[in-house]
Formats: sequence, structure tokens, C-alpha cells
Amino acid sequence: MSDLLVPRSDVGEFRKRYRWLALFAFLAFLAIVIRLFQLQVVHGRDFAETALENVIRRVTLPTTRGIIRDAQGKVLASSRPSYNVYLVPGRVLPSARPHKRGAPIAPEPDTYPRIADTLRLNPDERSRLAQRMATACTTDEDRSPCWRPILVREDLPRDIVAELKQHQTELAGAEVTPSPVRYYPYKSLGAHLIGYTAEIDAEALARFRPQGYDALNADGRAKANPLGYENGDVLGATGVEHAWESYLRGQRGWEKRVVDARGRYRTGPEADRLIESPARQEPIPGRDLRLTVDIELTQAVEKAMRVHPAGAAVVVDVRTGRLLALYSKPDFDPNDLSGGGGRERVRQSWAKLSTDPLHPLLDKTISGSFQPGSTFKPFSALAALEDRVIDPEETVRCDGVVYFGRQPWHCTHVHGKVGMHDAISESCNIYFAKVAEAAGMDRIAKVAQDFGFGTKTGLGTNPEAPGRITTRSWYALRYRGQFRVGFTLNTAIGQGATTVTPLQLALAYAALANGGTLYLPQIVRAVETSDGGVVQDFPPRVHHKVTIRPENLSRVTEALWGVVNEPKGTAFAVRDAALDVAGKTGTAQTGFVAHEGDDPKKAWYESRDHAWFAAYSPSKDPEIAVVVLIEHGGSGPTQAAPVALQIVREYGRLAAARAGHPIEPQKRAASSKP
Amino acid sequence: MSTYGLSSGRLLGRARDHFDWALFLCAALLAVVGVVNLYSATSVVRASLAEMYIQQIYWLVVGGILATVVAAIDYRHYERFGYALYAFGVVLLVLVFILGRDIRGSSRWIYIGSFSLQPSEFMKLFLIIALAKHLHDDPKSEGRTLVDLIVPILLTIVPLLLILLQPDLGTALILGLIFLTVSALTRLQRKSLYWLLGGGLLVGGGGGAVISPIIWQNVLKEYQRQRITAYLNPESNIQGINWHAHNARVAIGNGGWTGQGFMRGTQNQYLFLPDQYSDFPFPVFAEDWGFFGSIVLVALYGFLVLWSIRVAATSKDRFGAVLSIGVGALIFWHAFFNLGMATGLLPVVGVTLPLFSYGGSSIVTVMMGIGLLMNVSMRRFYVSPGRASRLGGL
Repeated sequence: MSDLLVPRSDVGEFRKRYRWLALFAFLAFLAIVIRLFQLQVVHGRDFAETALENVIRRVTLPTTRGIIRDAQGKVLASSRPSYNVYLVPGRVLPSARPHKRGAPIAPEPDTYPRIADTLRLNPDERSRLAQRMATACTTDEDRSPCWRPILVREDLPRDIVAELKQHQTELAGAEVTPSPVRYYPYKSLGAHLIGYTAEIDAEALARFRPQGYDALNADGRAKANPLGYENGDVLGATGVEHAWESYLRGQRGWEKRVVDARGRYRTGPEADRLIESPARQEPIPGRDLRLTVDIELTQAVEKAMRVHPAGAAVVVDVRTGRLLALYSKPDFDPNDLSGGGGRERVRQSWAKLSTDPLHPLLDKTISGSFQPGSTFKPFSALAALEDRVIDPEETVRCDGVVYFGRQPWHCTHVHGKVGMHDAISESCNIYFAKVAEAAGMDRIAKVAQDFGFGTKTGLGTNPEAPGRITTRSWYALRYRGQFRVGFTLNTAIGQGATTVTPLQLALAYAALANGGTLYLPQIVRAVETSDGGVVQDFPPRVHHKVTIRPENLSRVTEALWGVVNEPKGTAFAVRDAALDVAGKTGTAQTGFVAHEGDDPKKAWYESRDHAWFAAYSPSKDPEIAVVVLIEHGGSGPTQAAPVALQIVREYGRLAAARAGHPIEPQKRAASSKP
Repeated sequence: MSTYGLSSGRLLGRARDHFDWALFLCAALLAVVGVVNLYSATSVVRASLAEMYIQQIYWLVVGGILATVVAAIDYRHYERFGYALYAFGVVLLVLVFILGRDIRGSSRWIYIGSFSLQPSEFMKLFLIIALAKHLHDDPKSEGRTLVDLIVPILLTIVPLLLILLQPDLGTALILGLIFLTVSALTRLQRKSLYWLLGGGLLVGGGGGAVISPIIWQNVLKEYQRQRITAYLNPESNIQGINWHAHNARVAIGNGGWTGQGFMRGTQNQYLFLPDQYSDFPFPVFAEDWGFFGSIVLVALYGFLVLWSIRVAATSKDRFGAVLSIGVGALIFWHAFFNLGMATGLLPVVGVTLPLFSYGGSSIVTVMMGIGLLMNVSMRRFYVSPGRASRLGGL
């Protein structure tokens, strides 16, 4: 103890320094205080805003896409929930995660093995997924991919979903999210017309959200992107789904949610106080559509065409222009393309459909144009009658062949002496050679255009082909002034460069049937709210009245009656006495030229003529016009006519069956008189 | 002189008489506020972390007992065993390399049973004692020369290098700064000072220009390079390397004048503040209590530091004075660096906030440091009350 009693050492050396040290410390802390003032008082408001932005997330509330129903109220397209499973690597595989220094955390057990069992992953998938998640978890910072959910399974079967939900607590990290998927109960039936939905692609997204979109104000955004498309959105790709997208889509809502740095939602009073009003905007559900189409009739059409590999059929109400059936074959199942069953199924279906030689994705009723063949003859005849260039009673002698110079030109049969009536009902080409000679190409073109050929009908569901009605000037441009008589002959019988779409032909025959009114084709009958209220009801719209004298029209329609009902008529052999049908057969040469090395089967098929039948029924006071095209069917009378007659038969049967309780009687009564 | 024969009874009697209430209250207040803040900081995380504040209280109790013991033993005993304590600390640092486990690329801890010990923390105190002893034994009436500084430099550089090897940049930095602060206390010859400054400028400027790219490329680790670039461009790459620092600033700013209220700071409650219990407890506090709360906290640290200078000034011997300044420097640099990095004035260096940051070794070290201060403060009246009061007026 005593050795502690040493003299105190001199502290004088330090004495002058204390003040300086104190001053230094004071200034240092002052700097901190000034900085705090700057952060908390000067910029406090900005930081408070940033802090609020950090925790408030605008969660979009999904809207439901409108339902598409047929004329009878049968659902053609609706949405169903599909369940997708996401795994959060950091929560499913805690063992793969690095651990924070000094933090005394006992790692949670891995739930992955059980989840993999529940999802029925095969060993290969299982190890590949585990690998992927381990890679994501090289760091466990708050924003690392370790916390980002990975999509593992789409559109799970219900039993697995139920299992996952039931064992939610033991399967931590597996998230089941419902997402709506478009559902088409009639599958491929009417697929071209109804269309399908698809996830928005990069190109469309870039169109709706151009560069600098995020910087725009609300008005600018609404202008560029009125329907509010976002990445991953589903939109109508074809058909009614596409054309009526803005009605069907609905409007998304949003809700402010409090979220933490790991993206988890927080609730409770503490979180709620952060949410400023307006806290929520309700979504507006999409509008429902009532189509003019009768799906049962479409079903009948499909049945009638069952034996034919490819073709199209159109049934239109001649009194309104409303389409009762649009059918294109081969078809596809829109469920495959709309995301049901997951992306992989969409990819596979696409690959298959886009390489099919029969073009199942093409809507042949409006996107395909074909030579009409003899179904065009009534319009040539009208051209000649209207300008009185031919006496319909005068006969022409058909020997089965006629020579233009040294070029022989064949008729279907040797018809003998034929007038106009017989020439139409028996489909004599020789007579129409005379018609062509007398009327000339441009007169025929004028009448054809009057009946709507050569221009798009404006249906709008799918990209429409305008078809082609040739004129002298068209040929002059195409063939450098060398106009030949044969061109006009071809035009008169619907061959050569003349093409029409089945829909155009149906509307034109409807105009023949109803006394000369060309309607705009109508596919949507009404827009409705989800509870059935009518938002908008669309009356029939007349395109125009054709300028044909009634006596000429009736002369032609009598001949069309003769096609089916007179013994020499081309369709007499296949007629059904119980059906009152008038129409015209057509067998159109396709101009197929076989090349060496072609698949002989394919060449044989493609060299066959297109078979047409264009008709309306009943012949007096007609209700419907029917056009049937059998691609490469060979012969109109034998292939297309029976199909058309079957359709007429089914139409009558359906009408009779429904007579007891007609759907929307008052509407129909109001609109049936054009 | 005969009045202070050291019988233990008289020692304790004096201690009671001269208990430094200001020091005690200031330290106690900081400790209490620190625990309360830790509660707020960890209340949002998983259960195991939410228990941290209880652990912290245990450490404070242990630190309090150790501080009492440290304060009770006359500090001149530490002077006697100064170098032995220093050597003990260095041995512990060497042991880290043998016994330590690698955590996140650095080994800083020694594990004894379920306890983990961070020798580098205690080394700070041992270094202060060693430096104090050296200066105590080596009084100079005229200015010191560079040669006189060789021993203190050696005393500092040995543990500093050992800690750099762990690697633990923050602690090494604090050791260096303690040395500089203590050196600033001594009187250098004007010539030596010029030499030191001139040489320093030459070596620092010229050599720095040559060496710094080499250091940048080869010595600094990737995360250290990123931290420096992040410091130079504070608002760039907010989603990445600057995320911590950015959100710390947002939290502080979000406090505003009066704060969001206890446990209501959204940045912390919604997990935007990582390391909220270790390196970034201040943003939690600043967000909860605002500018007013923050200046009170800064004032408490300021008071503690200035008070340690006052204790040094009233100390009767060189050992006590250097000891007080050393402990003051320890608290000052820790607080200044931590607050500086939280507010974005300084780059992010892992330096704890005394009595706020979670961690046993850190808490115990600071508490023992305050015990040393108390020790010196209680024994300031040994010579004559008259002289002491003259010196006391800082």
C-alpha cells in the first residue's frame, strides 16, 4: 500500500489542451445537430413523404371480364378462377439462407420437401427447383431474390389446392393465388367468332405505355392507355373478345395497403392510420354481351359439316342482318390459348395450330376469300336484266362447249336450249358467256358492288378480307392493257380473279331474299350489366337498298327456287320436300397447279374444286340465308347443298322447339320489321 | 500528504462523499433511454430478436457491477498493472485467431461456453490504460520530440494491426483515434510538430497519391470500396448499396420536429432499417422522438464527453488525466462516428453507439470506461481541496 504514496506527477503539460479538446468535441456535436436540423426540420416533410411512400402500396383490385352469351342466354365465355402456386425460397428453404451475424436466430425447418410432395413434383423437377431457390438465396438482404416468389405450378387441380390450403401452417412459404382464366364452355364451337384471350405482348404494351408513360399525369395516362393495360394483363386477342374488348374488360380498382420492406402486408389500427383517403376505388366489372348467334344452331352446323375437313358456314337472319351462326372449320379450342392449364399448354397449342395445313386459326367466314363460282351467277344475271341488255326469254343453245377462237370453254352439261331461268337453275355456263358478252364486266361489277361484294362488311371481329370484284380497269392494270373476252366470262360465272367471303355471299343472298335490303352484319345483340340489365340494345342497321327493279329480282329468285325444286335444278337430287328452300349451287375451280414433288394426297385434295351452296328459306317470306362452303369439297350440289339443307332443317326444328317460349319476344317483335 | 493513507474504510468513505452524481445520472439516463429505444427497434422483428432488450438489461447489470468494482479500486492500482493488462489484451486478440470462428468473413469473437467475448472492445480500455501509464511515467517539462512518441505509437499499432487482420475496420479506427486524442493532450516541440505535420503531409499527400490506388485495388474489400463510393454519391443506387444509408436518413428525416412517437416510426416498424439494433439504433430513436429528442440525446453524449474532460482537468495526476481523456475519446469517437454515419455526414463504418447499440462486449466496455471515469472523479480531492476547486472550473 505504501508504494502508492508516490508524489503526484505533474499535470501541467496537459492543462492548456483541455479547452481545445472541449471546443473540438463541442463543434463536432454541433455539426451533428446542424445536420439533424437539416434532415429533420428543413427536409423533414420530404423525408416523411418518402417514408410514407415506402410503406403505402397501391394494390390493384382485379375486375371481372364480362360474360359473353348467345341469343338464348347460353354462356359462351366467362371467367373461372385458376390457382397458381408460388414458392418464396427464403421461407421454403430457410436452410439455404445465410444467417445474420450476431443474430441469435434458430432457423425454421424446411417446408420444401412436404410442399414438393403435395405438388406431386417428380424427382427431376424437385431437385431443379431446389437448386434454383438455393441460387436465389446467396444473400438474404431484404430485397434479395430470396424473398421473391417463384411461380411453380399454374392452374392446379382443385384437390391439390384444397390440400395446400388445409395444411397452410405446415407449408409455410407456399402461396396459392387465384387468377381468373377465361373459360369457354362450348370449347371449339364458335371459336373463331367468340375469339380467345391472351396475355398482353410486349409490342402492345409498348403501344399503350410508350416511353415516359410513368412520368405522365393521370390525364396523359388515360389518353395513351384508356383501358389501363399493365404488364401481365389479359386482353381479347381475336373475335368478339377482341372487337368488344373495351366493353368486356371492365375497370380495375385499387386499394391502399400498408406493406413492409419485405413486401408483406400489415393490418391493424397502427397500419391503418397511415392510409390517407381515398383509400380505395372499387373496380367496375366488365359488361356482358348478348350475341345474335344461336349456339345450338352453330352446334347443328358443326354436326352437318362433320364429314368435311375444312370449310365455312354462315347463317344470317335476312330480315335483320343478324348473324345466327358463323362457323369456320377446322377450329381450335380457345381454352387452350387463353391460359387455362398454364403457359406451357398455350405454347404447345400455338405451335400445333400455327403449323396445321388447314389453317385452323383462320376465320374463313370473313378472313378467307374464295372464288364464288356459280353462286355468283344471279348477280351477273341481274346486271344484264337491269340494263336490259338481254331478253330473259330468249334462249341460247348449249352444246356443252363453246369456242373462243381456238380456245374451248366447257359447260357442266349439254343443256340444250336454255333461257335465263333454266340457265340459273341448271347452272349453264354457255348462257352466262352470252350474259357476259351482253352486259360486260363493269356492269356486272356495279351490281356486285351494290350487293356488298368487294368491300369489307365491317363485322370487325376478325381481320376481314374485302374480296375482289374485277373491273376492266383492274384487268387493264394487271394485264397491261391486254383485255380479253375470257376475263368477262370468268367474272360472270364467279371464276377468275373474282373472290368473295362467305359472309359477303350470305348478306348478298339475304338481300336477294328480302327484296333488296343489304344489312350491316350484326353480331352483338345487346350490352348488358352483370345482373342482366340492358345497357345498350343494338337495332338492325341497313347498309343500303340495292337499286334493282323488283320484277328483275323476282325473276332471279324464281330461278333460285327452281335450283332446288325443279327436276332439272342442280340441287333437286338432294332436296328435302319438307323444306322450302331456294338457293344456288357453286363449284369453283381453285386454279390449283400441281408441282412436281408435291405430296400426291395433298395435291389431290387441293386440286379439288370448292363446293358452295348459297340459299335462303323459306322461299316465300324468307327468314334465313345460309351459305355453306366446303373447301375442296369437289361439287356444290353433292357436297355443300346437303349441309345447307341440314342447317335449314335444324333451324326449323329449333324454331319449332322454342315456339312455346320464345326468348326476348318483345324485342324481336319490335325489330323484326326493318 | 498524510491525509490519504489508503485504508479501505477511508477509501469507501471518501468515495461516498465524492460520488460523481452528474456522471452517474448522465450514464444511467443514456442506458435507460438506450434500452427503451432497443425495445422499440426490435419490437417488430421475430420473437428471438425481440428478446434483445432483456439481454441488453442483463449486460447493463453485469456492466454496472463491473463498473462499480472498477470504480472502487483506486485507479493507481491500474497504473501499477498497466502494462500487464495491456499484454493480457493483446494475448486475447491473438487468441481470437486461434479460437475465433469465422462469421461473415471476419473473426472477432472468442467463445467461452455459451458466451462470446469480443476482445477488441476491451482492448480499447487496455490501450487507454497503457498509454496513460506511459505518459504518467514519462513526464516532460518541455516539448516532446518525435522520439518520445515512438513508444505510444508502438503501443497502439500492435493491437491496431491485430484488429485490422480480423478484419474490423471500425474498431481499429477507434484505437487510432484514441491514440491521436491522447497525443493531442501532450505538448510537442514546435520543431517536432512541424516535422510531424510536414512529414505527414509529404507522406500522406505524395505517398497517398501513389498508395491509395494500390490500397483501393488490393487492400480494401469490395464492400468497403462500395461503401466509400456510396458515401460520395449518397442518393445514387438507393435500391442497392445505398439502401441502408438512404433509409436511415429517411427515418431520421421522418422524425420531423417532434417525432412519430414511441414505437410508431414507420421506417423501423416496417423493416426499412436493417441493423437497427447494432449499428443503426439512432435512426430508430430520431424517427420516434424527432429533432427535440435527438438534440437531447446528442446533448447527453456531449455532456458525457465534456464531463470526462472536466474530470481529466481536475485529476491530480497524469495517469488519471490521460485515463479520463482516453475514456472521453472512446465515447466521443464512437458517438460521433455512429451519429455521423447515420446522418450521412460520414461513410458507413461499423461503429456502435455507446449504450444504445446491442452487444455485451460493447456495453460492458463502455460501462467499465465510465467506471474508470468515476474512479478518477471520486479521487480528485487527494491533494488539497483548494487547488482542486481552482482546477475544476473548466
